[in-house]
Amino acid sequence: MGKLKAIRLGAETSAEMRPIEIETAVCYQCGTCTGACPVAAAGGMDYTPRAIMRMIQAGMEEEVLSSQTIWTCASCYACAVRCPRDIEITDVMTQLRNLALERGYKARKGRVYNTSFMNIVRRHGRMYEAELVVRYNLQTNPLNFIGLIPVAVKMILKGKLRFLPDHPEGRSEIRGMFDGLTGGAE
Amino acid sequence: MKYAYFPGCSQESTAKEYNRSLKAVAKRLGTMELVEIADWNCCGATPAAAVNAALPHALAARNLAIAEEMSMDMVAPCAACYKNMNKASHVLREDPDLLARINATLDSHQVEHAPAVRHPVDVVVNDVGVDSVPVEKPLNGLKVASYYGCLITRPEGGFDDPDYPVSMDRLMEALGAEAVDWQYKTKCCGGAIYMTTEDISFALSADVLAHAKAAGANAVAVGCPFCQLLLDLYQDKLNAIKNTSFDLPILFFSQLMGLAMGLDRAELGLERLVVSPFKLLSETVDGPEEDSKKRKKGPARKPKAWGEA
Repeated sequence: MGKLKAIRLGAETSAEMRPIEIETAVCYQCGTCTGACPVAAAGGMDYTPRAIMRMIQAGMEEEVLSSQTIWTCASCYACAVRCPRDIEITDVMTQLRNLALERGYKARKGRVYNTSFMNIVRRHGRMYEAELVVRYNLQTNPLNFIGLIPVAVKMILKGKLRFLPDHPEGRSEIRGMFDGLTGGAE
Repeated sequence: MKYAYFPGCSQESTAKEYNRSLKAVAKRLGTMELVEIADWNCCGATPAAAVNAALPHALAARNLAIAEEMSMDMVAPCAACYKNMNKASHVLREDPDLLARINATLDSHQVEHAPAVRHPVDVVVNDVGVDSVPVEKPLNGLKVASYYGCLITRPEGGFDDPDYPVSMDRLMEALGAEAVDWQYKTKCCGGAIYMTTEDISFALSADVLAHAKAAGANAVAVGCPFCQLLLDLYQDKLNAIKNTSFDLPILFFSQLMGLAMGLDRAELGLERLVVSPFKLLSETVDGPEEDSKKRKKGPARKPKAWGEA
């Protein structure tokens, strides 16, 4: 698919959109992706995956990057394995998230969740769930803590909560890897 | 065979029972030796790629490099780790420029030829073989819905069908359980979005639970810590959404293997499950001797595999 040129139907878009436009250029709007998408079926998207494909083709960069869809995609790959045009739809959603994060689009919850998660991995080298829950809820809605108490109690009783973070020996190597690729976090 | 074992973060917290039961099963099998990767790091789950396109491959690369030094294929029991590491293994073999760029950020480890990455269901079914699992106590009376979720067979699992896999079902039959046929075996539980979009995630999980029950299951087998957490820890919430009162134990496939292999139950972490399986087990697998004999359909030690006459 990579050899095809994307024919843009609408406005001029940024250079970062080019690979995404080329990947999605062959979409012929059959809607198989939307039919396969559990989140679209549950009403969790403002635009269906099929609509997002068309909007990319039409050069609607702003609308695509500020859509709810790119954040509520559950990354289950049901669309991608069924696409008759072999478009990596799930990976396209991830690339759009990546671009929306870099450009500072609002999507508060998505931003806080993804960056908090990776900052924890950068610092500890492994996930530390309790810190993620605290950081995420402090920055989104601290009132959530009340509702989390019964869940936390249940998890503690069942030994499902890690109280202290694990620290692999190679933490500095892991941090170096992060900073080498992203130019540092936090 | 020996495998480089990558437990993943969940195996040390929410899914300790998966880790422990899988290790216990592997030890008893003898043909699936799990050697833990020293000093492994997080795979980055879904957020890594959203933050930086190369980051998930880099995080995987450090683990793959250590596995490569061990000269073993990697086994990753968490479906999200499995998918990330498997994808990175393919990408790093196909994209030498990216490989060089990632190797440059690593100090003490380098990837030359990324090893293959396997899910333990794949290893048990295709390397060990379901007929080689020593069944001491067949799972008579258990009607198991095998729930693969998204990432065991997608996007590049390769060992089974992405929509309608049967590996885990075959395993369950070999263990003496009834494999329930159902439509939701690879539907998503919403695990990746449950912190940010809880209502949608619970709606998806509630559908999975309702379909398992409607198909006649009295237990669900899983191979992913997120599927397990949503269906088990939040089962009361899922029941509230659907106005149901299901009490469906959600077990890791390795716990069911351990039960059938007659392993010490303390090693299987059954008490960690929020929806307790003990009532079900006492009514089925541990039922009165004559009942369980009546229920037996074939020889206990060597149940037939699919496709055998």
